[in-house]
Amino acid sequence: MTLACHLKHAFPGFTLDAHFEVPEGLTVLYGRSGSGKTTVVNAAAGLLRPDEGRMQVDDWLLFDTAQKAWLPPHKRRVGYIFQEGRLFPHLTVAQNLRYGHWFAPKGATPEPMDRVVNMLGLGPLLHRRPAALSGGEKQRVAIGRALLAAPRMILADEPLSALDDARKSEVLPYFERLRDEVEIPILYVTHSAAEVARLATTVVTLEDGRVTGQGTAAEVLGDPSVTPLGARAAGAVLEATITKHHPDALTELNAGGTPLFLPALAQPEGSSVRVRIAAHDVILSTTEPADLSALNLLPGTVQDIRSGQGPGAIVSLDTAAGRILARVTRRSAERLDLKTGTPCYAVIKSVALAPQDIGG
Amino acid sequence: MDWLTPEEWQAVALSLRVAFWATLFCLPIGVFTAYALARWAFPGRQLLNILVHLPLIMPPVVTGYLLLIAFGPQGGLGALLKETFGLTFAFRWTGAALASGVMAFPFMVRAARLSIEAVDPKLEQAAATLGASRAWVFVTVTLPMILPGILAGCVLAFAKGMGEFGATITFVSNIPGETQTIPLAIDLALETPGGEGRVMRLALISIALAAGALALSEWVSRRVAARVGGV
Amino acid sequence: MWSAHIKLGLAKLQLAAALVCAFPAVSWADEVTVFAASSLTDALQKIEPLFEAETGHDLRLSLAGSSKLARQIQMGAPADVFISANTDWMNRLEEEGLIASETRRDLLGNALVLIAHDPDTPPVTIDKSLDLPALLGDGRLAMALVDAVPAGIYGKAALQHFDLWEGVAPQVAQAGSVRAALAFVASGATPLGIVYETDASAEKSVKVIARFPAGSHPPILYPVAALTPVKKPAVSELLSFLDTPEVQDIFTKAGFTRPAGQ
Repeated sequence: MTLACHLKHAFPGFTLDAHFEVPEGLTVLYGRSGSGKTTVVNAAAGLLRPDEGRMQVDDWLLFDTAQKAWLPPHKRRVGYIFQEGRLFPHLTVAQNLRYGHWFAPKGATPEPMDRVVNMLGLGPLLHRRPAALSGGEKQRVAIGRALLAAPRMILADEPLSALDDARKSEVLPYFERLRDEVEIPILYVTHSAAEVARLATTVVTLEDGRVTGQGTAAEVLGDPSVTPLGARAAGAVLEATITKHHPDALTELNAGGTPLFLPALAQPEGSSVRVRIAAHDVILSTTEPADLSALNLLPGTVQDIRSGQGPGAIVSLDTAAGRILARVTRRSAERLDLKTGTPCYAVIKSVALAPQDIGG
Repeated sequence: MDWLTPEEWQAVALSLRVAFWATLFCLPIGVFTAYALARWAFPGRQLLNILVHLPLIMPPVVTGYLLLIAFGPQGGLGALLKETFGLTFAFRWTGAALASGVMAFPFMVRAARLSIEAVDPKLEQAAATLGASRAWVFVTVTLPMILPGILAGCVLAFAKGMGEFGATITFVSNIPGETQTIPLAIDLALETPGGEGRVMRLALISIALAAGALALSEWVSRRVAARVGGV
Repeated sequence: MWSAHIKLGLAKLQLAAALVCAFPAVSWADEVTVFAASSLTDALQKIEPLFEAETGHDLRLSLAGSSKLARQIQMGAPADVFISANTDWMNRLEEEGLIASETRRDLLGNALVLIAHDPDTPPVTIDKSLDLPALLGDGRLAMALVDAVPAGIYGKAALQHFDLWEGVAPQVAQAGSVRAALAFVASGATPLGIVYETDASAEKSVKVIARFPAGSHPPILYPVAALTPVKKPAVSELLSFLDTPEVQDIFTKAGFTRPAGQ
């Protein structure tokens, strides 16, 4: 177990009572706004002093109210990437980057500056001041700054939510690189299913201050009862390999033997990608569809149907490519007589898959 | 230069000296007080705030009289300082500097406090997470950002020091060459028949010095703001 | 007819005027503003209620250094009567035509004394052999502004008379007024001071240790005059009130002297 968190804190009108233990890698804290995610991260950083609790990363204790142990923020060695970046306006990018480096304890070996600058593409920005940077550039500098402080853990509080879609797609890959190339545990807060799908090694879901579930991205997003943002965010996460880039701007992937066609991807042939398919983008057909414009037809078997009070129902389909979720109306589910075991086809439009749903 | 008489030059030189030291005295204590009032919660905070503003609202003569009681030859603080540091304030230019410093103190605190409150505490938080202790956060993040405000406070303190009268004459009296600053010299000239010419000369020089200080501070302020604003 | 109305109105007016004249005691209560030297503070404050009770007029006092008051009068301050602590400023105002010369006379005299804070200080004689610097130690001699305020001017003249000025000048602390100088000595900020005899007797925390002989300085006279233009009868009432035995008694008790020839 890498990160152990036990937290209890009372706010006016809201109590946080969260307990979880997660392994290495990038852990996403996933939940609605106000569910307590930022509180957990602030407690990890030492910016909040909880009523009761304990947090530990490997053998390094951050705080333990029972033992009255408390490390002040500047001794915690956590690199915090804030939602608004919080770069120092009176320093250049290079000075911002080196800020944490200056305060790192003697034994610490931070990433070499060059490596971080290259990884985040900050070379041309080094002599500018934050006021002259775009939102995406600011966040990249924020990532670099946190990294160069030689942290033992990285915290990120909704780092992409202040950016527009184009900037989001620009910065998200850097977090993927962070997860893959740097061996530091990352605690990442978001309410975006796409970010969960692409980044999470582990997902911890939070609702009203309590942990409601824990698992991989596929497990959590694929289970509409767990996913805290409700049926709208539900979707499948598939692992696929890029087979071929076609000349008509489509890329063919292989997901468990089934071909998938998506708008052209940047990654080279042969690389693995995760693809998130939102449930509301999936149409079901009990007969093999013919003459449809959609290119992706996945045969499978109905595994489960869940419906609530509203008009919709979520159907889980087992296919060769993986578990797929489809959101249909209850009326349709009844009309098609969908039950566990019913064979079914999932129809997915290639262009329905947004770029941010496709990641490395 | 025979536009001013030697006594008048003496008053000008003394005023500059007094105002300079008054500002210097206000600077560290004023900024620290401003930081405490802006950022810390402690019992007696409101009381401290009121104390800081007293010289603004009390008649200057009263302030001067209180200084006389405390720092005069018979005063407890005065005797203590003389024994420990050999420092005398009564009837000396140091007393004039102290009087000006005390009167200028609220201006320094207000200006510094305004600019400290304008610093986003989130930036200070970010600095803490990067490993900076409270003191280092202040030096590397807060201080550079509040410099324009501190500068404004210095200019105000300097101007107040150049213009202080009531507290000065009540505390250290009017001693040519020692405590006779420009305002005291002007007052004396007003009371002397035929002193009108001296009054105007000294007043003009006062205005010129204040204008110069203001212009300098504006220039420096713009340079600093440009650095912080990020151009 | 409207002419009849007017005649009736006029008749009413005449009746009212006649009634008013028939009761001369029912006249306006006037306000008299007196600018006076600060050394007259205590005495004038005692005189104020007596004047108001006697005449029904309202007395407003403005007490400050004579030089400051004179400047204000030069600039048109609305004073009715001026009592100065020296003749120079009164002469100045007379030259500028600001006072009614026929009302000017010397009201009071005063003496100059050397005072000490410490009640155990032994009395001294003021002559050429007086060692003031030794008496002062590293303390200072409080005086009013020696070139502007009358008490300071007299004090400097007296010290010069005995060749003591040069020796003590570096240790002089000049206060804005004689009362301020008195305060320095009373609070102990300075060990010694030179003030009027009247100031010294008003202040309990100081002790008179010497009296400057009358010949050592120009006579200390307090001229009084009405300021032009004299519009209110109350002004002359005040000027004559100042001569009544009752008022003169108050002045004497305070330590003022009656100038010769009054």
